[in-house]
Amino acid sequence: MNATYVIVGIFVLLVVFGIIQYNKLVRLNVAVDEGFAQIEVQLQRRGDLIPNLVETVKGYAAHEKETFEKVVQARAKATAAQGVAAVAEADGMLTQALRGLLAVAEAYPDLEASANFLSLQEELSGTENKVGFARQYYNDNVRALNEIIVSIPGKFFAGPANVVEREFYVVNDPGKRDVPNVTFN
Amino acid sequence: MGSLTAFVIYAFALYAGYTSIGIIPIVVGISLFGVWGSYYSSDKIVLAMTGAKVIDHDTAPQLFNLVHEITIASGLPMPKVAIVQDAAPNAFATGRDPQHAVIAFTTGILEVMDREQLQGVAAHELAHVANRDTLVSAVAATTAGAIALLSDFLIRISMFGGGRRDNNGGANPLVLVAAILAAILAPIAAVLLKAAISRKREALADATAVAFTRNPTGLRRALETLAADSTVVHQKSNAVAHLWIESPLDNKMTSKLFATHPAIADRIANLRALEKTGPSPS
Repeated sequence: MNATYVIVGIFVLLVVFGIIQYNKLVRLNVAVDEGFAQIEVQLQRRGDLIPNLVETVKGYAAHEKETFEKVVQARAKATAAQGVAAVAEADGMLTQALRGLLAVAEAYPDLEASANFLSLQEELSGTENKVGFARQYYNDNVRALNEIIVSIPGKFFAGPANVVEREFYVVNDPGKRDVPNVTFN
Repeated sequence: MGSLTAFVIYAFALYAGYTSIGIIPIVVGISLFGVWGSYYSSDKIVLAMTGAKVIDHDTAPQLFNLVHEITIASGLPMPKVAIVQDAAPNAFATGRDPQHAVIAFTTGILEVMDREQLQGVAAHELAHVANRDTLVSAVAATTAGAIALLSDFLIRISMFGGGRRDNNGGANPLVLVAAILAAILAPIAAVLLKAAISRKREALADATAVAFTRNPTGLRRALETLAADSTVVHQKSNAVAHLWIESPLDNKMTSKLFATHPAIADRIANLRALEKTGPSPS
C-alpha cells in the first residue's frame, strides 16, 4: 500500500520533471527562431536604407563609382542569402562595403554636414547596432539551447521535443579582426 | 501611495471620532486598494508626476533608436520612451511589467551625453524593467509605509485601550513602552529597508545593463558624467527619488546607509573592474 504511493509519487515527479525539460527546450528553440528573424528584419532594414544613402553620397561624390558598386553588389548578395551561414557571410561583406562608403563620405565636409546625411548616418549606425545586438541575442540563445541538448538529461528530451543543435551566427568581418602579424624568428 | 491613502483616511476617521480598533480592516482594505491602483497605473502616475512627454521615432530618432537597440539585445518589448524637460541630467524607468514600461530621459542628459553613454543609460533603465525593479520598489515602499502605519496603530491602541473608554485596569505600561519603541524604530527600519533594496537593485541593474550591451565603458562614462555634474533634478520629491539613475535627493548630508543609491564612485569602480576582466564574449 505504502510502496504504491511512493512509486506513484516518484512517477508523478518524473513526469513533471520531463514536462519542465521539454518546455525549456521548446521555449529556447522558439527564442532562437525569433532571434534569427530579428536579425533578418534588421538586415532588411539596413538594406532598405542603402539606396537612399548611396543617392545622397552620389550627390556630393559622383565619381566614387567603385565604392558604390561594391555596396550595391554586397546588398544584392545579402538580399538573396538564405540560411544562417550564408546570411552571416553576406552580412559581413555588406558591413565592410558600408564602412568603405562612410570612409569616402568623410572626405566631403559638405556631405558630412548635410542634414539628410546626418539622419541617414544615425539610422545606419542604429541599425548596425541592432543587427549586432540581434546577433548577440541569437547566439546567447543558441548557446543555451546547445548546452542543454548535448548534456544529460536534456539529451533525452531533444528527440521527443523535435529540437536539434543550432548553428551560431558568425560574421567574418575582416575590418574587425585586424590582428597584427607576429613572426618569431 | 497606498499608505498615504490610508493615512488620510485614518486621519479623517480620527477626526470623526472613530478611534475603535474596528476601523483597522477598513483602512487596511482601502490602503491595499490604493497600493493596487498605484501598481496598476504606476506608468501613468509617474509620467504625470514628472511631467514626462512620450516621444516616437520621428521626434527623437537617436534616442528612440538606442532604446530599440537595447530591447533587441535583451529580448524585451519596446517600452514607451519619454522626455522630461529638466536641465539636470537624469533618467528613470517605470511601469508594472515589461509590457507597460516607460523609460524617461531629461533634456539635460540628452545634451551632455554622447551616443555610447546614452546607450549605457538606456541599458541600465531597461535592466530595471527586466529585473522587475519597479514592482520591487513599489512593494518596498508599501511595506515601509505599512510598518509605519502599524506602529502608529499600536501606540494609539495602547494609549486609548483600543477604543474602550471604561478604562478598567488601564493600559499595560509594558505594551506602551513597546509601542513607543516600535513607533520610533519601525519607520527608521522601514526607510533602511527601502534604501537597501533600492541600492541592491541599482548595483544589479548596472550588471544587467552590461550583460545587455557587453560594453561597460558606455555606462561607466555616463556615470562619470553624472558624478561630475552638480545640477540636481528639480523634483526633489521623496516619492519618486528611487526611480532616477542618479539620486535627485542630495545625499551628501545623509549617511550612506540611508541613501537610495549606492555611491556613484562605487558603481564606477565596479564597472571599471568589468572593463578590465572583459565581458563574456558573445
